[in-house]
Amino acid sequence: MRLSYQWLSEYLDLPPVEEVARRLTAVGLEVEAVARRGEGLAGVVVARIVASERHPAADRLSITRVDAGGEPLQVVCGATNYRVGDLVPLATVGAVLPGGQRIEAARLRGVESAGMLCSARELGLSDEAGGLLLLDPGLAPGASIAAALGLDDAILEVNVTPNRPDALSHLGVARELAALLGVALRPPPAAIAEAGAPAAEALRVRIEAPERCHRYAARVVEGVRVGPSPAWLARRLEACGVRSISNVVDATNLVLLELGHPLHAFDLDRVAGSEIVVRAARPGERLTTLDGKDRALDPDDLLVADRDRGSALAGVMGGGDSEISAGTRRVLVESAWFEPAGVRRTSKRHGLKTEASYRFERGADPGMVGAALDRCAALIAELAGGAVRPGVVEAHPRPHRPAEVRLRWARVEELLGLPVPGDEIRRILGGLGFSAAGADGEGATFAVPSWRQDVAIEEDLVEEVVRTLGYDAIPETLPRPGLDTPAPTPESVTAARVRDALEAAGFAEAINFSFVAPAEDAAVDPGARPVALRNPISAELGVLRSSLLPSLLRNAATNLRRHVTDLRLYELARAFGPSAGSGDAPVLERGEVAGLLLGRRSPPGWAASGEPVDLHDARAAVEAVLEALGVAPVRWEGRAEPWCHPRHAAAVVGEGRIDVGTVAELHPRVAAAFDLPRATFAFRLDLAALGALAHPVARYHPIPRFPAVLRDLAVVVDEPVEVARVVDAIRAEPLVEAATLFDLYRGAPLPAGRKSLALAIRYRSPERTLTDAEVDAGHRRIVARLAADVGAVLRG
Amino acid sequence: MADLLAQLEALAAAARGEVAAAADPRSLEDLRVRFLGKKGEIPAVLRGMGALAPAERPRVGEVANRVRDEIEALVDAARGRLEAARLEAELSGAPVDPTLPGRRLLPRGHRHPITRATEEIAAIFGRLGYEVASGPEVELDWYNFEALNMPADHPARDMQDTFYVDAASLQGAPREGAVLLRTHTSPVQIRAMLGRGRPPIRIVCPGRVYRSDYDQTHSPMFHQVEGLCVDEGITFADLKGTLAAFARAFFGPGTRTRFRPSYFPFVEPGAEVDVSCSICGGTGRRDGRRCGTCKETGWLEVLGAGMVHPRVLANGGLDPARVTGFAFGMGVERLAMLRHGIDDLRLYFENDLRFLEQF
Ligand SMILES: [Zn+2]
Repeated sequence: MRLSYQWLSEYLDLPPVEEVARRLTAVGLEVEAVARRGEGLAGVVVARIVASERHPAADRLSITRVDAGGEPLQVVCGATNYRVGDLVPLATVGAVLPGGQRIEAARLRGVESAGMLCSARELGLSDEAGGLLLLDPGLAPGASIAAALGLDDAILEVNVTPNRPDALSHLGVARELAALLGVALRPPPAAIAEAGAPAAEALRVRIEAPERCHRYAARVVEGVRVGPSPAWLARRLEACGVRSISNVVDATNLVLLELGHPLHAFDLDRVAGSEIVVRAARPGERLTTLDGKDRALDPDDLLVADRDRGSALAGVMGGGDSEISAGTRRVLVESAWFEPAGVRRTSKRHGLKTEASYRFERGADPGMVGAALDRCAALIAELAGGAVRPGVVEAHPRPHRPAEVRLRWARVEELLGLPVPGDEIRRILGGLGFSAAGADGEGATFAVPSWRQDVAIEEDLVEEVVRTLGYDAIPETLPRPGLDTPAPTPESVTAARVRDALEAAGFAEAINFSFVAPAEDAAVDPGARPVALRNPISAELGVLRSSLLPSLLRNAATNLRRHVTDLRLYELARAFGPSAGSGDAPVLERGEVAGLLLGRRSPPGWAASGEPVDLHDARAAVEAVLEALGVAPVRWEGRAEPWCHPRHAAAVVGEGRIDVGTVAELHPRVAAAFDLPRATFAFRLDLAALGALAHPVARYHPIPRFPAVLRDLAVVVDEPVEVARVVDAIRAEPLVEAATLFDLYRGAPLPAGRKSLALAIRYRSPERTLTDAEVDAGHRRIVARLAADVGAVLRG
Repeated sequence: MADLLAQLEALAAAARGEVAAAADPRSLEDLRVRFLGKKGEIPAVLRGMGALAPAERPRVGEVANRVRDEIEALVDAARGRLEAARLEAELSGAPVDPTLPGRRLLPRGHRHPITRATEEIAAIFGRLGYEVASGPEVELDWYNFEALNMPADHPARDMQDTFYVDAASLQGAPREGAVLLRTHTSPVQIRAMLGRGRPPIRIVCPGRVYRSDYDQTHSPMFHQVEGLCVDEGITFADLKGTLAAFARAFFGPGTRTRFRPSYFPFVEPGAEVDVSCSICGGTGRRDGRRCGTCKETGWLEVLGAGMVHPRVLANGGLDPARVTGFAFGMGVERLAMLRHGIDDLRLYFENDLRFLEQF
């Protein structure tokens, strides 16, 4: 809402604009900006051109003599759109124009010039150059241009929250300021002169939908001449961001900005049957609105209709048929109260947001219907000539009854932690228009003023009190301490450990939008049926991702395009699925952590090998996560998801066959789809599975008291034999504490299809020092078992 | 006998000269073996003792021991000198290049600045006795709006442009418009009250929220932390004290807070909360120029808060006549921006490593 400081000051005596802004903000009417319109026009004055002659040395220039209040001045000018005697703006020496141009005494082609005659564009008033700005001949030479054009004003940009429609007008804000400042309010004049035959002879009004329209009031103004508005009116509207249209329409807009009540003017001669019916739209009915759009109506739309057809979408926008035009002679002025939710539904349905709908859907002041109507009719008669016919034609099926709200004085302290005496409360609320009835030591019942329909319960009154007192009056305390110290939730422990582990493994955390392009989601998981948005920002952000991987793959591509080529990225977030979730969550939300590796293994440096990452680096990251959570034991199985290279993938399976996730090289086709190199590695793990398998509190195992015996073993096996099978066979020997693969070899002299595994085996007994003989016997049993189980041959 | 004694003395004399001349531990060891080793020169001399009279043997043995001890002492002393000299040479020798970077096997990992700020906020409230709660990101209209005192056709819904889920993409085909992406973390208030059943309730809920607004200063997804404290006797003064304590913990001990009346449908009375500008210290000016962060006001708007609306308490299954509560919500992106001096919202979600690795 844009408010003119000048306009406000007609209704009360105001402190400087900065103070007004501060006070309004302090009571919840936040002033977001104050624009001083005349800024940059200092030193620009009204000047009368008293003589003009051609410049002797330049065809395109003239030498003018101007009267700017003092001694006549000589000014060189390039424009030609003036006549001697015209009033124009003169930027005097020293002025700095809004565009930054500083005016200096100058010689133009040898002729002195004591300033510059200005166009509207040079003064920052318009985009049109169009020669000099010709001023109203009634102005006095020498007067400041800002004052002459009504620009010595400040515009306050107020952010009015949806609960305060009463502050969507100058009078409404003035009323609030008067209460705050304790000064008298001077409302605009209410007088109306009537003449001619009663209006009721020219018009009938009927409401068929009383629940949607509590009151419809109209006046008739006859004999008007529609034309342009006077300058003061046009300027006033423009200052508030409303375009001037014609005197009649401008009158309705002026009253809207003044009193906050939306009004509409119809050409009465185009109201068929001289009859207004407020009714629901009929099935199939259409209406062409003032914006020229032909609209199919819904039976939920409320119409202001004449005998034959709709004339306006009630409370939203008028129709083209009954629009005020240059030929309009008889005007019907409408002032009504439409039910907020219905106006909002129509406004949303038709995508039509107007000054009227904005106010009606927030709740117009039912007490203002009559006053606004009188004010507007009188103004039309004043501006456009004509006479207001006696009487108001109206239907008023639902008279407004003020709400009554009881406030207990003690409740104020209960909510605020600040005692406020009852008298003080009554004084504050009284100033805001809430009158107390039946006050006693406990509290009072307050009648809510018609313009404050947002106030309905005791707490609302408490807010009115504290809004006026200011929150600074309330002390700072802390709630009494709880009886219990909350423990971190298992989910947050899991998330923190996963993040710690991946951070230690060199990963940077990414955060991506939850929505992705459907094709990207499908590229990673062709079987998923992603949850789609009805109104996405764009198709590229059309579905909720079924996995975090598409986002990470896109991040990798973005980084590569920017020449960032070594990447370890992860994201920890929710992925979505179409089935219902737990606890009446409408969709399935699955916590996931996904990671991606690309480029070199170590940061580049003098001691770095520069080797590229491979699948085993990705697996190491997964192992780090598992260890950080105490997820053990797990099995690694050669299973691939659709995004995985079918041969370069491992699935992690925990105890109880719980699927934890997968680590893999990207499937070459997936890599290509995201413009990524083949050697891109990724993993995705399910957070719920990790949480279920986690042993976040480590169990102590005694430190061995007896020495270990170390033996190496090198065996040759067939290629398909998995290392885990060899290790399992070794660990089946009771004295073996650990077996670690330390070398893997393929190639000559081994035949193709065979590989050599070298393992370090640690033997230990918790009870005694082992003898060589015991270890030798164990080692022999291992060799025999390996030969039997996996066909291993000792390597010579 | 005299012959043997003379040989021993001669060996001693030779050893004295050669040990003194030895330049490294290795030649010292060679000398020790040459004189004292099993096949060394002193044992060789002593093998001649067999030809001596028994009475003469102790005398020769005595001299031999003395010579042996002396040579051993000489060698030890020389070794000590050489070691000391070598250490001295090392300690005063060529230094390592102190500017040579360390050997890094892995890059340093990085938490996203949003996560960092979120964890810190949760930790501060954890110290104040709040536990972390969570709720779905895809919500029902009832939790996101209705229960929070924003019925259908309420203009306050305009404050939050909403993403709706296409009902056809869901199993069980809910009513169109009933399922949406939560526009704030406030629905967790309702879920927490309904789930916990009875006060005291003190929760913070960090999480992703969504609004269909995308430009320089709006992201369709961002992060909030919601807080809720419900108990008997909770007042606005408690809210002020709590948020002032939070602001000091997060922004620094000198931070001031300011409460301004504002409107959120789920609280009454409601407030916007400003903290003194962390960039200019609340003066509005920095290095003689206007502070761009607070636009010269000295204040930064960082929170919305208020006393929980009685209808919201009732929708959470609590009796508004018995308990009161306060709630607050803050935008994590903005807090992280202020903390780190980040000037572009979009950086958070581009995930350019050169941004991420700064944290
Ligand atoms: Zn600042």
